Amino acid sequence: MTTNKQTTDQDGFDFMANAGREEQDRDMIGILLASAITVVITACQYLGLL
Amino acid sequence: MNTISTATYDMNRSSIFSTLYSLKAALPGLLAMFFIAIFSNNLVGVPNPFTLQNLFAWLDGVIGPLNHQSFFQIMNANFVWNPLLMGLIIGNLFGVPNAWKRGLSYIHLMMPLGIIMLAPHFMIGHASKLGFMPILICVAAMFITATVTLYTGRLLKLDDRQTSIIAGGLSTGDPHAGVILMPLIKAKGGQVVGASACVILFGIIAMLILPLVGPLVGIPDKYFGLAAVTTVGNGAQSLFAAFGQSYEAGRYATWFDVGRHVIMPAGFIYVFVVMFIRKLKNKGNTNVHATGDIKTFPIWLMVFIFFWALACLHLFRQPAAHAIFNMVQWDFSMAAAALGLSLPLREIAHDGIKCFAVTCIAGCIRMVLLLAAILLCVKTGLLPA
Repeated sequence: MTTNKQTTDQDGFDFMANAGREEQDRDMIGILLASAITVVITACQYLGLL
Repeated sequence: MNTISTATYDMNRSSIFSTLYSLKAALPGLLAMFFIAIFSNNLVGVPNPFTLQNLFAWLDGVIGPLNHQSFFQIMNANFVWNPLLMGLIIGNLFGVPNAWKRGLSYIHLMMPLGIIMLAPHFMIGHASKLGFMPILICVAAMFITATVTLYTGRLLKLDDRQTSIIAGGLSTGDPHAGVILMPLIKAKGGQVVGASACVILFGIIAMLILPLVGPLVGIPDKYFGLAAVTTVGNGAQSLFAAFGQSYEAGRYATWFDVGRHVIMPAGFIYVFVVMFIRKLKNKGNTNVHATGDIKTFPIWLMVFIFFWALACLHLFRQPAAHAIFNMVQWDFSMAAAALGLSLPLREIAHDGIKCFAVTCIAGCIRMVLLLAAILLCVKTGLLPA
C-alpha cells in the first residue's frame, strides 16, 4: 500500500485517516460545537438580539 | 500506518479534547485552512476583496450570461469548490508541509459540525406552495435516481464508495452532497472529487440536450421547468436548460427548484442507509467498502435529523437560519481547503471513465423516466396546464 505524502508526516500520522476512538472524539466535538452554535444563534433571535 | 496512529492516540488520550492536539501542533494547519478559505470565498466578517469568488464573478462579467446564468455557477463554483480548487493547486504544486498535518486533521470534526448546522437550511414548508404532484415528482425523482445509480454502479463494478457519491450528487442535483456523504460512506477524497466532477460534467451535457429534446416531447413550458429541475444537475445548469427552452420555462424552473432543494437531506440519508444495510448484509465481502467500519447509525447524523425535524417545524426563523448558514460557509470553506490539500491529482482521475459512464447511464435513464412521467401527468390532467 503506497503512502500519500501529501497527507502523511514523518511519524506516520495521516491527517485524512479517521477511525476508532479518535473518530468518535472528533464526531463528539463536532456535535457539541454545532449544537452550541445553532442554539446560541437561535436563542439570540428569540431573545431579540438578532 | 493508520493502525499505528490509532494505537498511539489511544495510549496518549486523556479526554475527547485530546483529538484537538496542542495549539502549537494544530495552529499551522488551521492557519493554512483559514487563509485558503478567506482567499477563496467572501466569508462573513472578512472584508477581503481578493478572493477566487470575486475573480470568478469578474470573469462572469467578461463572459456574459449564458441563458441568464453565469458560467462559473454552471461549473458549480461555490463555497465548497473554490477552496477545494485552491487547496488542490497549492498541494500539488508545492506539497503539504508536515507542520500543517495535525491542524488539517480538524477536517474530520468540521464535517459533522458543518453538516449538522446545514439542517436549518432545509425547510420543507418552503415547497408547500408547489402543490402535491410537483412535490411528489421531486421526491420520486430523487429516490429513483439514487436507486438507479447504485444499481448501475453495481452492474459496471465501480467501487461502491464512488457509486454512492455519484448517487448522492445526481439524486439531490447538488454535487455538494458528495462531500456531505464523504464521512458517512468513508469515501476517499479522490473518489469524492472525481465523482462530483462527473456529476457536474453530466449536468453540462444534460443542460444542452434537454432543450433539444423538449420540443420533441411536447411538455408545456410550465412543466418543462419542472423537468429541467429534476433531470439536469445543479441549480444553474437546470435554469440554463429551462431558459434554453423558453423564458417562461426558465421562470417556472426557478419556482420549482425549491422542491428539489428542500428535500436534499433525504437523498444523502437514503444513500447512506441503503449502503449501510448492504454492508451489514454482506459482512466479509471484500468488494463491499461503502460505510467502512461504521457499526451503528452515526450519532451526529441523528443530531442532524433532529435539527432538520426542528427546521421543518420552523423553529429556526430568519435571520437566525441565515446566520447559521454563514457559519456553515466558514466551516465547509476550511474543511474543503484541507480536502483539496490532501489530494494528488492522480487519485481524482482514478477509475474516471467508469465513473463517468455510470453517471451518464444513470442520468440518461433518469431523464427518460421523468420526461415520460411528467408527460403522462400532463396528458392525464394530474399536472394542470
